[in-house]
Amino acid sequence: MTEASLRPTRDAAGMPRALARIVGIARRSPTAAIGMAILTGFAGLAVFAPLVMPYDPIAAFPREILTAPNSEFWLGTDGNGMDVFSRVIYGARYAFGIAIPAVILSIVIGVPLGLWTGYVGGYVDEVTMRVFDALRVFPSIILALAVVAATGQSLVNVVLVIGVLDSPIFARVVRSEVLALRSSTFVESAIAAGNPTRRILFVHLLPNAIQGAMAQTAVRAAWAVRISATLAFLGVGIQAPTPEWGAMIRQGAEFMVTGQWWVALFPGIALILMVLGLNMLGDGLQDLLNPRRKA
Amino acid sequence: MALLQVDDLQTRFISRDLDNQVRVAKAINGVGFSLGRGEVLGLVGETGAGKSLTAQSMIGLLRPPAKVVDGLVEFDGRDLLSMDPGALNALRGNEIALVVQNPLTSLDPLTRIGDQLIRVHRAHRKVSVAQARERAIDMMAAVGIPAPERRMRAWPHELSGGMAQRVLIAMALINEPKLLIADEPTTGLDVTVQAQILDLLRDMVRRMDMAAIVITHDLGVVAHYCDRMAVMFAGAIVESGPVDSVFAGPAHPYTQALISATPERLALGSGAIVGGPPPDLYALPEGCHYRGRCPHAAEVCGSAPPDREIGAGQVARCHFAGNLPAAFQ
Amino acid sequence: MTEREAAPQVSAAAAPEPAVEPVLAAENLVKHFPADNGQVVHAVNGVSFSIRPGEVLGMVGESGSGKSTVGRMVLRLLKPTSGTVRFRGRDISALPERECRPLRADMSIVFQDPWGALNPRMKVSALIGEPLKLHTPLSSAERRRRVEELADRVHLSTAFLDRYTADLSGGQLQRVCIARAIATNPKLVVLDEPTSSLDLSVRAGILELLAELRDETQVAMLFISHDLGTVRLISDRIVVLYLGSIVEYAAAQEVFERPAHPYTQALISAHLPPDPRARLTRHVLEGEIPSPIDLPEGCPFAARCPVVQPRCGQEVPQMVPVGDDGHRAACLRIPEGGNQIPR
Repeated sequence: MTEASLRPTRDAAGMPRALARIVGIARRSPTAAIGMAILTGFAGLAVFAPLVMPYDPIAAFPREILTAPNSEFWLGTDGNGMDVFSRVIYGARYAFGIAIPAVILSIVIGVPLGLWTGYVGGYVDEVTMRVFDALRVFPSIILALAVVAATGQSLVNVVLVIGVLDSPIFARVVRSEVLALRSSTFVESAIAAGNPTRRILFVHLLPNAIQGAMAQTAVRAAWAVRISATLAFLGVGIQAPTPEWGAMIRQGAEFMVTGQWWVALFPGIALILMVLGLNMLGDGLQDLLNPRRKA
Repeated sequence: MALLQVDDLQTRFISRDLDNQVRVAKAINGVGFSLGRGEVLGLVGETGAGKSLTAQSMIGLLRPPAKVVDGLVEFDGRDLLSMDPGALNALRGNEIALVVQNPLTSLDPLTRIGDQLIRVHRAHRKVSVAQARERAIDMMAAVGIPAPERRMRAWPHELSGGMAQRVLIAMALINEPKLLIADEPTTGLDVTVQAQILDLLRDMVRRMDMAAIVITHDLGVVAHYCDRMAVMFAGAIVESGPVDSVFAGPAHPYTQALISATPERLALGSGAIVGGPPPDLYALPEGCHYRGRCPHAAEVCGSAPPDREIGAGQVARCHFAGNLPAAFQ
Repeated sequence: MTEREAAPQVSAAAAPEPAVEPVLAAENLVKHFPADNGQVVHAVNGVSFSIRPGEVLGMVGESGSGKSTVGRMVLRLLKPTSGTVRFRGRDISALPERECRPLRADMSIVFQDPWGALNPRMKVSALIGEPLKLHTPLSSAERRRRVEELADRVHLSTAFLDRYTADLSGGQLQRVCIARAIATNPKLVVLDEPTSSLDLSVRAGILELLAELRDETQVAMLFISHDLGTVRLISDRIVVLYLGSIVEYAAAQEVFERPAHPYTQALISAHLPPDPRARLTRHVLEGEIPSPIDLPEGCPFAARCPVVQPRCGQEVPQMVPVGDDGHRAACLRIPEGGNQIPR
């Protein structure tokens, strides 16, 4: 029982324990470590944007329209004469600001739905699953486009639409876990103790079924970043001159043909890096959290 | 000379934990025994005592992070631990056969059982398919499978647990091994079926003059189907000897506790139960590993206990072996 | 089938001491499960028994005998296809789950596999305290005190209360399960193979604890097991189940000393006592327990019975008295004495 307290806080190489743990995780999943590093970078940029940005992201320099990258404007300026570097950095705030609430919304809707349908089964389950299947038939981007166009073009609507559209993913992951757990002895034991259904769902099943869904969060955040950028690129939802990467790429695409490549390229790179980072973290998380991988 | 000679076998699990620290579990700590032809050795002990691991260490079936770090395993004059994997592979299923606990998961679900028997036979013998087929049918008949010719075409999922175990035994014995290792061969089978399988195993061992190791946690199986027994605790044999003498006069406190704990000997309400948590293989105590649970533990137990000869062939690894009060009448 | 269901079987009325009202009386319990392609698994086929306060009823059978299904039906974890479950005089066999919940303070179960029976995300104190939380108005401090008492009661160090199940060994986990099962002072505890997955030395400690509880409380226990040695040790009376039917019923000693049904005799003879000097009387049965999908006509044991007669394949044997003390068995050959397997 005293094992934990007797453990040395430093290992043989003199590494502090926290660092040793990070090294341990990195050894088991280098993918997760790289993904985490990329995301930490973006998070730093988002949080400290005002300190890092050389200019106000929506301040236009009328005399500097479409200036190529130089020592003053490191990544050049766009069609409005706004600094691309500052805008790319500020864009990280939009990426996180859309992805995080959207994923939280997906979880809040999807997880209880998955718990309920998986545990109750029968016809509740059947109907829900068929609705999800029907939703899956449409490419989600078209649905998102239609809904955002119909409900009004605001940031909040974009978040709501992405969150709702992605909730079936979480519902399915949780449902399949619950299906496996439903007949396990501890659930039977909970019934035998007299637990009401609500308590079985949220006290007994949820903590045991949530891991798969948690492993999905990073990948779904990547999807949210991608889809919000796509919406903005298509001119739905967020509009220029908001410093959002998708909107920036949309504006920059026009200048691609005339040779001003920097306007679209740099937000594009940022977008790719962030999606890549989230996906790498997601893959790594799935490896680390997947209970079936633990031997 | 003994067919199988094992000396000071040492197996470790070496892994890294979340904090990236190396952790070593001392899973097998100096197991040694010898086994002659026609002899059945019962290997008993509780979960985690290292019974199956001993067998796996002997015949090269360990998977990382488990690793044999020391010891000697001599089978029929050959050193198994230094043998290359190919040669060892040729030995397994041929001269050394294994019967495991879960018969249904040990059979290839996509191959008819007859073809599996033929495959095993032809892997080690240069015979035609027709000859192998004949041999397979003979073996199925020998293990008491009714209508063997027809059953050759059966799929594994069509077999009951008892039938599947018979098929596995036929498969283990088809190449007339010199050594049979049966790892919990009847655990999970019903008692009425267990009797059939154990009778069959014993008959086959006698008839083919093999040596056999039966790994089990069931003292009843040992008492009635084995010639000698070895009791394992924390990866070491703490007592071994002829079944009759060990049951009549167990000399190690652990053996005594084990035998007194059987429902038949148990006197409920006597308060004489010596249970306790399994030993922590990552932090085994110095000296006797049973010390923490032993009612007779004394200061001397802090030093490694010797193997004391109690009587004809009975050996106990305890400082007090032979000087303890009888555990029961 | 109808004939079997209608068959009068052992009931409380037949036993001596009828004055005490049984905690549990099961009458003619039947359970069918749907199987693939419209077939029906006849898991339990007309089982009747009763348990009095403070009594331990052992239920012995091999896999497929329906013993666990019976255990779940009497606690209404399963709904019987037909038959009645009377718990403290009240018929609960058709009660909806919502109405069963308050009763669960008075009935509980201990499962075979303590590793799987406890929610791995809950601390030990929460697991033991859960029935109290659900069924009593205790404050959390009072509950904690009661949980500590319960831990003491099952000889579990209170140091484990703030740990998760992963830190406990199998024997300790089973103690947690037992503490949880007795937390609300139930009148009936079903023990479904509570020692089968534990090591021998640990098993003894659990049996010791159960015997203590039996002696010190008036809880009735249904002890389900395939292991004759264990059942004999702890039970007052024993029922032997084969293919979903009771084939024999008697006081524990009596079953072992004068087994009347050929299946009971074979079961006892297949048991291996851990003593090389014990002489085995071997009646090794042929084959295995038949599929409960196609129930045999007549006696369920006829196909494997060493003393079978042609009529056993047609006539369903009823429970008939054997000797005194309510010893009964279901074998057609009992009246003429041909039920004994020759040695």
